[in-house]
Amino acid sequence: MSKENKAKKSRVSILGLLFGNRKKQLSFLEEEQLQSPMRTVIKNFVANKVAMVSLIIFLIIFLSVLIYPAVNHIDLTYQEQTQQNVAPGFNMMKVPKKLQGNIKEISVGSTFSVGVSNDGEVFVWGKTKITSVIDVKDIPENMGKVVQVAAGADHVLALNDQGELFAWGNSRNKQCAIPENLKTVKNIKRIYSGFQCSAAVTEDGNVYFWGNTGIIDFKIGEYQGQIDKIAINSQGVLGLTKDGQVVSLTANELAFSRIPEEMGKAVDIALTAQTGAAVTEDGKVYVWGNKTKTIHEGETLEGVVSIEGGRYHYTAMLANGDVVAWGHDDFGQSSVPSKVNKANVTTVYTGYYQNYAITDSGKAITWGLKGYILGTDNYGRDVLSRIMHGGRMTMTIGAIAIIISVTIGIIIGGVSGYFGGKVDMILMRIAEIVYALPFLPFAMTLSAIIGNKINETQRIALIMVILGLLSWPGDARLVRAQVLAERNKEFVTAARAVGVRQKGIIFRHIIPNVVSVIIVSATLGFASAMLTESGLSFLGFGVREPRPTWGNMLNGCQSSTVILQYWWRWVFPSIALGLSTISINLIGDGLRDAVDPKANER
Amino acid sequence: MAKYIAKRLVYMVFVFFIMSILMFGIYKMVPGDPARLLLEGSKAGMKPEVYEMQYQQARERLGLDKPIPVQYAVWITNMLKGDFGYSSNYRKDVIDVVAQPLSNTMQLNLVAIVVVFAITIPLGIICAVKKRSTFDNVVQVFSVVGYSLPTFIIALVLICLLAVKAPIFPVSGVNSVGFTGSALAKAFDKLWHMALPVLVMVLGSIGSITRYVRAAMIESLSMDYIRTARAKGVRERAVIYSHAFRNALLPIVTIVTGWIMSVFSGSVIIENIFLWPGIGKILFDGLMQQDFMVVLAMQMFYVIIALLGNLIMDIAYCMVDPRVKLD
Repeated sequence: MSKENKAKKSRVSILGLLFGNRKKQLSFLEEEQLQSPMRTVIKNFVANKVAMVSLIIFLIIFLSVLIYPAVNHIDLTYQEQTQQNVAPGFNMMKVPKKLQGNIKEISVGSTFSVGVSNDGEVFVWGKTKITSVIDVKDIPENMGKVVQVAAGADHVLALNDQGELFAWGNSRNKQCAIPENLKTVKNIKRIYSGFQCSAAVTEDGNVYFWGNTGIIDFKIGEYQGQIDKIAINSQGVLGLTKDGQVVSLTANELAFSRIPEEMGKAVDIALTAQTGAAVTEDGKVYVWGNKTKTIHEGETLEGVVSIEGGRYHYTAMLANGDVVAWGHDDFGQSSVPSKVNKANVTTVYTGYYQNYAITDSGKAITWGLKGYILGTDNYGRDVLSRIMHGGRMTMTIGAIAIIISVTIGIIIGGVSGYFGGKVDMILMRIAEIVYALPFLPFAMTLSAIIGNKINETQRIALIMVILGLLSWPGDARLVRAQVLAERNKEFVTAARAVGVRQKGIIFRHIIPNVVSVIIVSATLGFASAMLTESGLSFLGFGVREPRPTWGNMLNGCQSSTVILQYWWRWVFPSIALGLSTISINLIGDGLRDAVDPKANER
Repeated sequence: MAKYIAKRLVYMVFVFFIMSILMFGIYKMVPGDPARLLLEGSKAGMKPEVYEMQYQQARERLGLDKPIPVQYAVWITNMLKGDFGYSSNYRKDVIDVVAQPLSNTMQLNLVAIVVVFAITIPLGIICAVKKRSTFDNVVQVFSVVGYSLPTFIIALVLICLLAVKAPIFPVSGVNSVGFTGSALAKAFDKLWHMALPVLVMVLGSIGSITRYVRAAMIESLSMDYIRTARAKGVRERAVIYSHAFRNALLPIVTIVTGWIMSVFSGSVIIENIFLWPGIGKILFDGLMQQDFMVVLAMQMFYVIIALLGNLIMDIAYCMVDPRVKLD
């Protein structure tokens, strides 16, 4: 036996195992006699390369949208303003090679990080593109020897050894406009960048604040001249005075501005989005504000030296050099890798969702959010997760709609075809009308009028029913034609002669003979039901935000900004939807050819 | 034939009334009180008793104080007289709201139909004649892609390529803003604005129609009379275009009429993406603004179009194929 034959045989047997073919190969004549029609159909289908490839592609998509949502639940209310429209990729914590081993300081921005080397050179990495024209990677020249950097949500501050301040990035809210009275000040101790705002603390305890004062209502009052360090998040500012008192530096009341009184003298402070935290002289951590289940875990710690705050997590350095982190762990930002505590860590830099632990050799160990494989949308939601959950929704709706439509189609087509005459006339006229109605406008109207009164789950059920109710005529006609062809055959006459009831004749004797045709039509109908659902959701009459479907993910993507700059927001859902419908249609075509090889000749 | 048409017309009237009852029923399910909606704007400056009086007046004016069957009777009589109601959003009669968009939609769709049939019929015929050739296979693959992709994805891709990356065509509107020039120049400007929506429509429907034409042609090319024609030495062109194509017309007519019916309904999605002020956009806005009188009138219009379409399809069968007997 030649090698080729062997390979062929093994391939056949693998497919045979998969699709239940006989192990023993039969000759053509034997096959004709022994194979059931279904087996012939499967054999024909398996031989069709295009259809098989499509089946595999579809199964991959189908299994992913089935398994991924089962494993990763989606929080429909999730929104994250600091992670909006992030491009796909995993470079958020990729420290440049030239900086690695020579790190003086790192500052973490929303989707990028800034580092300065011991020689005073500044590096920026991560998702640095803020808008089509602003890129924080465009570092100003002639800054001299930089000693400090501070990264905000969309801008960067740098301080050189002469005490000069530089700012670049997005300055729409004047966060890069360094105040005139600060330009003459040469004793800046520490610089800070937050969400659309910047601040500087001088050696003599003064705080300068600039940027979007509409978001943060900065008010220092009597504490001016006493501040040692501050902490900024997207809503407010906390200050730590030189004698260890924690004070809120905003005029308005915020979740974290009510500072616990019995704390004692604090040595370090930090902020997350909703809470504040302080480390006291005796090494204890206090957390206050809108605490969640995990965010106050740090209160049991002892021997803490310093603390850093991310968006929803804290990291703390202990006196023995260990690093601990607690809080939300949705991007692994609170899971400190074991190699951090094996190494000799000198400092930890934390911000947003990223962490950098700097070892004594000047190298950085990172953990947290590396990036998003398919980017994020305009609310900062992960596009991959939405595609997966949206796919499940789109496919579920399509499948149930097609089950409804096929069921109605079989009943009406079966009855109409078997009885003929007046019943047939009436049913087919109804089918004709439903068939002729413009599908999308009717579905939209029904969804808009009925859908206003009901909740979201009922809305989804309603959409399935609408799609099902408007698409049965095709199936009914098909079944009717098949029944007409079958009803005068001998086996029906025989069944009638034996006294089988009419219902039994239609649904138990005739319908099984037309089932293959129905399967083909259902497959093709599934693709078109998915398309219609997507169209409805795209227009806002189907499933609504924040629940994702492939259609409503594309809603709002037709502006040229999104099309060009945030391409990942429409390209990936389009690919998912397009690939699914193309593969389903090809499977349907393949099935049709397999069921009725003569159709292929036509 | 005349008897058949008469019979069909009676049936159409019957169906029309059933559909109108259905539509009216759906319309009555709309939440909210149209009379209150009408007074919403002037509510603030009114005393409660004046408001109440005006509200009752509005109810009377809109006929809401009568029982639902009477309301239906009044509405359907008005409809038949050509009074389609009053749009609460545009503060105009529905007929005036719909007239201009309908013409816009028809212009757009007519251009699209001409282009689609100019491409698909020759393409389908060539594919059928050169069945299983590389050309046919390539067209088959593209046609599957064409009818599998939703129009909004095609639209996004085309906007990206032809309007954003290479700004050749405008993304939205009917005419350039503040356009001045001769009527001819204006017509060209309109065509230029139509380019993208028409292209999307063409790409979206080219696949399925080519397949239909191809299937119909293959069917008729396999008939005995084709073999006879070839055997007696008829030129291949004549065999294809006059013997085979004429017999393939029947299924093609079905699609053509189906398509022409959709000319009136317009494409809601395409008109929305390209902000084409057509009938689909009006329906969309009507639903969004809860202007249900417009929606109701349009749905009734669709029903009439659907019924007429079916009749026209049957008559067209007779005309292209004398063998078809209607009874």
